[in-house]
Amino acid sequence: MKPLSRRQFLKRTAVASLIGATALVGVNEKTQAAADPMATVIDLTKCDGCTGEKIPRCVAACKDKNRSRYPQPQKPIMDYWPRKGFEDWSDKQQVINRLTPYNWIYVQKITVNGSMVYIPRRCMHCDNPPCAKLCPFSAISINPDSAVTIDPEVCFGGAKCRDVCPWGIPARQAGLGLYMKLAPKFGGGGVMYKCDMCHDLVETGQQPVCVNACPRQAMTFGSMSAIKNLAKERKQALNGYLYGMEENGGTATYYVSAVSFAEIDAALIKAGVVDGKPGRSGMPPVAGKMDELGNLSSAMLIAPVAGIFAAGWTAYRSIKRGEE
Amino acid sequence: MILRHTKTVRIIHWSIALSIFSLFFSGFGQMPLYKRYMLTDFAPWTGDYWLTLHLHYLGAIVLMTAVAWHIVFHGIRKETGLLPRSGDIGESYLILKAMITGGTEPPSDKYLAEQRLAYAYIAVTVGLLIVTGVIKVIKNLGINLNDSLLFWSTQLHNLGSVLLLFGVIAHLAAFIPAANRKLLPSMFHGKVDEEYVKHRHSIWYEQLKKKGAKR
Repeated sequence: MKPLSRRQFLKRTAVASLIGATALVGVNEKTQAAADPMATVIDLTKCDGCTGEKIPRCVAACKDKNRSRYPQPQKPIMDYWPRKGFEDWSDKQQVINRLTPYNWIYVQKITVNGSMVYIPRRCMHCDNPPCAKLCPFSAISINPDSAVTIDPEVCFGGAKCRDVCPWGIPARQAGLGLYMKLAPKFGGGGVMYKCDMCHDLVETGQQPVCVNACPRQAMTFGSMSAIKNLAKERKQALNGYLYGMEENGGTATYYVSAVSFAEIDAALIKAGVVDGKPGRSGMPPVAGKMDELGNLSSAMLIAPVAGIFAAGWTAYRSIKRGEE
Repeated sequence: MILRHTKTVRIIHWSIALSIFSLFFSGFGQMPLYKRYMLTDFAPWTGDYWLTLHLHYLGAIVLMTAVAWHIVFHGIRKETGLLPRSGDIGESYLILKAMITGGTEPPSDKYLAEQRLAYAYIAVTVGLLIVTGVIKVIKNLGINLNDSLLFWSTQLHNLGSVLLLFGVIAHLAAFIPAANRKLLPSMFHGKVDEEYVKHRHSIWYEQLKKKGAKR
């Protein structure tokens, strides 16, 4: 990380304090124009899944904002040859009980120890996201505001991002995207879709629409440092639990709960909310997979240096001995 | 028999060749290909991106070490016989023409003109793959690089892989003409038939005679 100048430090401290204070009183006003990393804390003791409403407000707000960006596949859609079948959600756009290319946030509902827990689920926006780092076409960007975004013009729809995401978040729609212009029968599978943290709004100093739409202020958005502090304080106040700060090497989404995430995860699996299919994830412990590459990466950068010295020494010896 | 490739050269050649084959396999595994094309039905591990990524890194360690060795070792010894020379394109045409028509080839040094061109092609593509690969590795260390740099490194890495695949296929296809086949065993035991050298690498043969280095 670059060292901060005194001026930057004062500025960031002031902004972070302001946001922290704003968040603490539960008022979600405009955030700073985001060049700094941002984050969201989701307080599960506040979320009630908008019980009584047809669609949770965060889900409805997300759909309203992003409807124009939803996929418009060309039909009929080809099979993923040589396999049979393809992923098509275009006739199931009304589905709101899982993540789909047409539904980028949903609310899980589960009973844990006799209490109802509602969990808004969407992309965690990891600090070192495997989806972006391992995309074979670099179709996924990590933005300075923490938003991890997919470029639909570059995405080939191979769904590797979903496979390497610990929560299997990105959802695939076949029948559109770059692969349709190349060899649609033989390679590619569509375009991947997921929450982009309302990157366009955050860039202009606004908040994600799900945060604004929450009637119970269960979600708070702000600078990462302030939100981390808020999440830790809330955890302490509840004598509760935190999820997302350490998982997968750190993310920009922190869940705070009065019940443990191990219990939540077990209950989600037991109740079949996690059904083993894409778009419905549990809350398991997640080690930072990208971190595991560290030693091997260092070895890769050092190995040629060893080769250079060994070659230099061998060449010198061979010349000295007059070898051909 | 005449020594064409020393033990060191053969070890480096095969280190590079085998690491490139392993990198092709693990690299294509990083594309979502093996699941789609049902290789995972027979070998489920091929669909594990983390495993193939680790294999890709291991292959890269061997390749980069061998390439570094190759450049430094031959650089210090000033062995530049494989570098292209002016007139190599025209000379390659004459050699190919002679192979097809059964005519007489122009006199050659230790390496044929077409071998020097093939070396340059493979060296440039491997160089491209190493540079873009290193950028991709740095990115995976948790360092967020400039989006454009990353995007173009990725595309050039993919393009380089395809170009190298063509290069390797052409390299192997070079052993289809009978005239080239006598070189193949020398990649294992290092030596070529003296008559072959006399006939096909007459410039090199004359140099060897002068040095009295026939073995």
